[in-house]
Amino acid sequence: MQRPQDLNESQCQAVNHSGSHLLITAGPGTGKTHTLTRRIARLIPSLKSDEKILAITFTNKAARQMQDKLTALGVRQSQLFIGTFHGFCLKLLRDYFERTALPKDFKVAAPEDIAGFDNETLKRISQIKSSQLAISPDDEYKAYQHYLRQNSWVDFDDILREALLLLEDENIAGELRRQYRYIFVDEYQDSNIVQNALLKILACEGVVLTAIGDANQSIYGFRGSRVELFRRFQEDFNPAQILTLQENYRSAPSLLAASGQVMGGVQLLAQLETQGKLVIHQAATDRAEADYVAHQIEKMIGGLDMNTSRRALRSFGDVVILYRLNAQRSVMGQALEHLGIPYQVSQKPKRNEVYTDEDALGQNEEILEYNIEKVSLMTLHAAKGLEFPVVFIIGCEDNLLPLNILCHSRESGNPGSTGMKGDPKEERRLFYVGMTRAKEYLYLSHAKRRQLFGQTLIQEPSPYLADIAEELKAYEAVKRNAPKKDPDALQMKLF
Amino acid sequence: MKFIADLHIHSKYSRATAKNLDLENLYLWAQYKGIHIVGTGDFVHPKWFKELEDKLEPAEKGLFKLKDKFALAIDAQIPKSCRGEVRFLLTVEISNIYKRHDKVRKVHNLIFSPSLQAAQKIQTKLGSIGNISSDGRPILGLDSYDLLKITLEADAKNLFIPAHIWTPWFSALGSMGGFDSMTDAFGDLTKHIFAVETGLSSDPPMNWRLRQLDDFILISNSDAHSPSKLGREANIFDTEFSYDGIYRALSDKDDKGLVSTLEFFPEEGKYHYDGHRNCQVRWHPKETIKHKGICSGCGKPVTIGVMARVETLADRDEGSKSKRWRPYQNIVPLPEMIAEAKDMGTASKAVQEAYMNVLNKLGNEFYILLDCPIADIKKAAGDVLAEGINRMRRGKIEIAAGYDGEFGTIKIFDFGEREHIEQQLVLF
Repeated sequence: MQRPQDLNESQCQAVNHSGSHLLITAGPGTGKTHTLTRRIARLIPSLKSDEKILAITFTNKAARQMQDKLTALGVRQSQLFIGTFHGFCLKLLRDYFERTALPKDFKVAAPEDIAGFDNETLKRISQIKSSQLAISPDDEYKAYQHYLRQNSWVDFDDILREALLLLEDENIAGELRRQYRYIFVDEYQDSNIVQNALLKILACEGVVLTAIGDANQSIYGFRGSRVELFRRFQEDFNPAQILTLQENYRSAPSLLAASGQVMGGVQLLAQLETQGKLVIHQAATDRAEADYVAHQIEKMIGGLDMNTSRRALRSFGDVVILYRLNAQRSVMGQALEHLGIPYQVSQKPKRNEVYTDEDALGQNEEILEYNIEKVSLMTLHAAKGLEFPVVFIIGCEDNLLPLNILCHSRESGNPGSTGMKGDPKEERRLFYVGMTRAKEYLYLSHAKRRQLFGQTLIQEPSPYLADIAEELKAYEAVKRNAPKKDPDALQMKLF
Repeated sequence: MKFIADLHIHSKYSRATAKNLDLENLYLWAQYKGIHIVGTGDFVHPKWFKELEDKLEPAEKGLFKLKDKFALAIDAQIPKSCRGEVRFLLTVEISNIYKRHDKVRKVHNLIFSPSLQAAQKIQTKLGSIGNISSDGRPILGLDSYDLLKITLEADAKNLFIPAHIWTPWFSALGSMGGFDSMTDAFGDLTKHIFAVETGLSSDPPMNWRLRQLDDFILISNSDAHSPSKLGREANIFDTEFSYDGIYRALSDKDDKGLVSTLEFFPEEGKYHYDGHRNCQVRWHPKETIKHKGICSGCGKPVTIGVMARVETLADRDEGSKSKRWRPYQNIVPLPEMIAEAKDMGTASKAVQEAYMNVLNKLGNEFYILLDCPIADIKKAAGDVLAEGINRMRRGKIEIAAGYDGEFGTIKIFDFGEREHIEQQLVLF
């Protein structure tokens, strides 16, 4: 059989694999979604009329995008369920409602609905629920569960756990296995132990699981994600084949080399021949850093007024600014506003997204009347899955990347909190995710002094910068031009 | 009624504008210049809009006047010879920066509104889309087409006018950030555009050479960033003194309400020739072709000016006229004329004093430049200025053309000529 033009050799192998479960290891820019949707489209014709494919995505947005791609490939919506783990599990709880222990009119409680428990407690309980299968509840845990049920609520974690309880009923599990013959899971590196248990029940008796992801991009450990599950795939799902996609279609070769060095020698094969540029910039302060970024953007746009005009290379939508903490955002936003550069702040995917009953696929989607181009601002976590021609990562400093700040966090409103510290391995992966968003230009900037949570911090560059070979880095300093006198302003004094 | 209107200006809330660009100074300078209707500029900016609401009151339909309590204090500063009614018309300029067909486009567009309500609708809509508070001329990542749609939807009487359409970096037809035709930029909505602004670096005959501009009437405005720059270019109307009068003059192809335009000498504009300001390379388009467009200073492509751009897009010979053509008069701002007569800098104190002096004696600037008998100017301001204005009216002046953001420089008198003219005065 001849290989279709839009698939490379390993993608083609992944699309056509049969006879066992499949784990596709797919680095950034290797055509993950493309491969996944093509594989789904290939399998659809083999389904019987009452059979379906279950496709699990990490966010609702990703679900919509996958749905659109599949529609374009001629796949009918009736043959699919596409959604997040939470969306699928909520559907199960509703479908098999009478077989659960839940009250008849149960509702999903959003974190803001919950009163009487502080953030730390909620975090701790959520951590337990998403990382342990068998829980020995303490008093606080019991009180919390009691409070929820009294209000006929389930929280996000409960949705998964209640569904897991439901599937202990062999009849229900069997019914689902007969219905969903193929299961696909995207971003498998960020699944947790409860999700893993659900999959183990569903993906047996001839049901084929296809998981795709990249262990190097696992960044949601604080939500209970377990990157080990990725490495344990062949033990959990037996027999299983592992295939790797290595051809990168996103980044300029030099940028790909640099991100590979940060990730300890990951080697993807650059397929583009574009000229990349990696700039390191040191600023005196966080404000100076923000001004630098805003002026670089102004330059790329080709100037914003007659006095600074030059050839425009980019428009606003080509640019993203990434940061480790939301607290870094306001200084950056001010600098952009000062130059009149339009920007939007993108939130990270909502914690464990759920489709509520009225929120059928795509229905609640905001319909944008006009296509507005803006510079995007977001945390590194929120950048997962995205790509931009120009990427700025600000605050490449030794206590932000990796995160390790000792302070009283005013942001959380919790005076008792003593600091923020990320898992060093996961922090490195987070930086890698940020770097690999860039297609052509990557700016890594750091400040010597930074105001954060009401303190002035003296900063050193992030150790990750030293991992990038010198010949790949261009150091850019700010040129100090004497401020130009405005001839009009001068004239105004005289007239 | 005959009146002069300058409908593209900015407020102090736009970037790189004078701090005193407020309603009082616009009121003052409009009278110095002899302008009857001046644009408010920047009506989308919330603070400026508030000032418009506070300080203006409705006058003739769609026009506004400065409330008496603000006007009275200014009136004393205005020579009796210059005093006249000033009206404001709601205007704004938007900077649209967006990608179309994989190319970054940067287009400036003007919007005129007939009422505060109509203006507010646009303000609300644009405020929901982008940041309208940082800059009186907001930068939006919005397609010009969509801005036109928003304008038309907000009020049927709004006017949408592509600004200084030839400016290389920021205009609908500009060489660097624009389109090759108005329909490329505005598609099926092009028919809702009635007028285009020619900008300082082009004059009407250059625009008449494009068939694609035949349906548009050409207007001219100062795009002033300080009060003293008002009226560098302007429009002379003879119609009903109201928004509707102006609306008809622009929108109705048979209406003769727009009589003529007052124009910069296009060579004096900042982008007439090609070149590189930093490399001091100033080229006539023919020179540019000889060098294949590459700067002899830095080896990078030169900024292509308006003259070359018109030549590229023109589909008629020089000397042809468009259907909606109007007569025009080239002018040089009076302070520049005085500076040239005195051979001193425009910004010098002596020139400033002489300017106020001549306004006192003769009347407003447009009267002096356009209509005042030369003999009267002679009497009031001397032979050299009188001769200069005489030459300006007949177009007999020399200009080293502007390029790449550098204004052109005018030369009216040869070396020693001023003394010669003055001596004649002594002899007679």
